[in-house]
Formats: sequence, C-alpha cells, structure tokens
Amino acid sequence: MLVLLVVLSLLLLTAYFGESPNGRLHGVQRAFLTVVSPIQNGANKALKPVRDTIGWFGETLGAKGERDKLKRENDTLRKQLVAEQAEKTSLHQLQGLYHLDQLGAGEYHPVTATVVGKSPNIWYSTVTIDAGSNAGVRVDDPVVNGEGLVGKVAQVASDGAQVDLITDSSMGVSARLGKSTSTGIVQPKVGEPGDLLLQYLPSTAQPSQGEFVVTSGTVSSPDDSLYPPGLLIGQVTSVNEETGFKSVNVRPSVNLQNLDVVQVLTSAAGSHAAGIASLASQLPAGKGSSAGEAGAEQYASTASGG
Amino acid sequence: MSPTATGSLPVRLAAMALLLAFVQVGVVSEIPVFGVNADLSPLLVAFVGLLCGSTIGAVYGFATGLLIDLLLLQTLGLSSLIFTLVGYSAGRLRELRDPQAALTPLLVGAAAAGGSLLGYSLMEFMLGVDAPVSFELLRQIVLVTVVDTIIAVPLWLAVRAWLQSALPEDPRRRRRRRRAYTTGGLSPLSRP
Repeated sequence: MLVLLVVLSLLLLTAYFGESPNGRLHGVQRAFLTVVSPIQNGANKALKPVRDTIGWFGETLGAKGERDKLKRENDTLRKQLVAEQAEKTSLHQLQGLYHLDQLGAGEYHPVTATVVGKSPNIWYSTVTIDAGSNAGVRVDDPVVNGEGLVGKVAQVASDGAQVDLITDSSMGVSARLGKSTSTGIVQPKVGEPGDLLLQYLPSTAQPSQGEFVVTSGTVSSPDDSLYPPGLLIGQVTSVNEETGFKSVNVRPSVNLQNLDVVQVLTSAAGSHAAGIASLASQLPAGKGSSAGEAGAEQYASTASGG
Repeated sequence: MSPTATGSLPVRLAAMALLLAFVQVGVVSEIPVFGVNADLSPLLVAFVGLLCGSTIGAVYGFATGLLIDLLLLQTLGLSSLIFTLVGYSAGRLRELRDPQAALTPLLVGAAAAGGSLLGYSLMEFMLGVDAPVSFELLRQIVLVTVVDTIIAVPLWLAVRAWLQSALPEDPRRRRRRRRAYTTGGLSPLSRP
C-alpha cells in the first residue's frame, strides 16, 4: 500500500510539474477551488471572530514595542523627508507611490477582494482571495494594497484566485531604487519572509539605507513588465557589495502577515497590460506560471539596461 | 470489533480532515507565533497513524496531502508524498513499539512537523528553487517544529477523543490487559 501511494504521489508530482499552467491537473485544482470557494468564504466569515480574538491578544502584547519602533521610524522618516524636499524629481516620485488609482490610467481596473485563506507552508507564500474570473481577475494580474505591492495572481477560478505573494520563492519583480534609475530584480530570500533581495544593480548604483524600492515596469514602452511603474515594494535595509553587481536587502512595505483586503489591478481586455500578461503566460513554465513571470521580469530588466 | 464503530471511522476521519483544512487556512495560518505559522496537517496525519496503524495512516496522509494541495493550489502530489510517509511512519511506530509514554504525542508531533518540513525543503530543492535560499530557513524550520510541538498535546487529545469510540479494539492492548491480569495484576472487577 505504501509503495502504491508513494508511486501515485510521484506520478502526480511529475505530471503536475511537467504540464503547463493550462494543463489538466491545474484545471482540476481550479475546478476544486471553484467548488470550495463559497465554503471557504463562509468558513472565513464564521471563523473571523476567533481569528480576531486571538489576534487581539497578540496585537495588544506587541503594541507597546511596536509603538516605540514606529516612533523611531517616524523620526527617521521625518529627517528623510526634509532631505528629500531638495530633490524635486525624487519627491514627485515618492508622492505618487500611494496614488494607486493613477497608475497606468486606463490600463488597470482595481478589483477589491478579501483574503480568505493563507498557506501555512514556509515554502509557499500564497493567499486565496474571494474574487475570480467573474470579477475580471486574470492570471498574472498585479495585486496591491494601500501599503504597496502584494504579489500577483497565480491561478484563477470563477469566484476565487490564488495570489503568489512577493515573498514566494517563485517570484521575481523588476524594480528600481526610488532616487535613481538603477534597476534590478527583487526576489525573496527563502526562509526569511520579512526580507527581500534587490539583485543585479549596476556596480555604479549608490543605494542608501531607508531608500524606497519601487516597481520599474512600464506598460507603454518596449521595457514592458507585468507590474505598473512606481508601486512601492519596500525600503532598503542594508547594502551588499558583490563582484560585478550590487544587491540590497529590502524590507517589504506591506505587512504580509496581516493581509485582509487587497486590490487586483485587472487589465482591460485588449489593453497593453493585458497583452503583456498574455505573453507572460505563454512563456515556458517551471512551477506554475511563476518561472515564466520571473523570466518576463528578467527580460524587462535586461531590456531596460538595468 | 464493533461493525458500527469501524463504519463511522472513515466519516470521522474525513470530517476531521475537512475541518482541519478550513481552520488551518482560515485561522491558524493567519496567526503568527514567534514569527511563524503552525502547521496542523502533519500533526493530524501522524496522530491518525499513531491511533489507527500504518495502512490507515498512509492512506490518510495521502488523502490529506491531496486535499491541502488542491485547496491551496500547491504543487499537486508534494504534500501527498510527504504526508503518506509521515502517516505510515507513525503507524509503524505504533505497530512495532506501541509506545504508551505520556510524552509520545509530543515527540511524534515534533518528528512529524520537523520531518515534513525537511521533506518539503528537500523536494523543493530537487524541483529547483528560483530564489536565493537563506540560512534563516533552518531557523524557520526549527521554530515551526517548536510551535507544532507545543500544540501537539492538545491536538492529540482532541484527535483521540474524536476517534476513540470509532476505533476498532486493538488485539495487542487486549493481550496486554489480559497478561497483566493473569500475572498478578488486579482485575478491574476486583478493584474496590
């Protein structure tokens, strides 16, 4: 019996890993998600009081430490803001970071969704949301909240979707430093969910601690990316010197442990953004569509000279 | 072995897996403890193996893994493979040693949590990881194992209470009770 089950598991694993994101097994998963989405939404609502009660205890305990930390952070940010005022161009970029509605005007339609589930595994940073293809959500659509970039849609069912968070091991986002035009690829560090790595920065780049990291993608030039430009990803925490390239550690701006409501930036059919998403989904896949997405972002970075 | 009792076992097992899946995804995964999230699935599978034996443990591990992979849209077959081995190993432990110590659920829980995380890591490396891997991963594995170990005992008590009445009579335990009685142990009937 053991041998039979192990062989069956390996067969499933091989078939799933080898097929495209539109393959039969992925289809079965999407169909399953379609069936359980209403149940999951109901369970999520029913269990919310339990979650909130437990969360309240944890938050109260951590509130004092958090307050002191935020005070220090506030002081640092105030000093930074004063310094930034001398640099009009940079300030203009920073002002635009939170104005999500203005991003790629006409290209994206934000769809608000509630997070109804989260993967417990340290190898998978994914959440399930209650909006799917019925709401216009498609694979590879960027997902944001008020704090910045959350991730991208990995799989879609009719009334639900799976979102790969920016800390998922399969993610790769072309990004640039807030104050300069130096671009690189933001990747997670597996095992450190509170840390990202902005890699492949040119050796001439001068990143500084506390500097903002934003998406570099554009949807109106040849340097296309899945993500609209200027979405806040995080802040530089430290700089690493490497041979040929520089890399920096980035703390995500979004509190990924506490996601409740997110916005999916759906692209209008026939728009440039929709074309890019379609192109990315056709790229060779490794794990799901993620490798293709990372490949597209790698290409975007190379093409933009970063 | 009561036929009605064994007949209700699959239903109870299925109900438990579904409940656990929704509680895990909807509550436990959203509450970080020491910066990590507890993972109830390997504990549940191991405890079912410990209570029901290796065959049921392996089948339950496979089914629970499949459910988790389907529900969370993870790589299909990965959790099934790992949980099949977890369920089978716990079941074999019961069949070969039948440990009765109070610490057994704690140790089995720790082994199941740590083993499954190492198994995931090994499989992910074999399948190819796109992102750089930090040594912090080891700390995460240890922390999740510690958190899972802490919740192992209450979960064990809950699983045992839920399944107890549906479990078939264990011949080994029956023999042990008979042996204790015939070799001088006090009969339950002669106790004051």
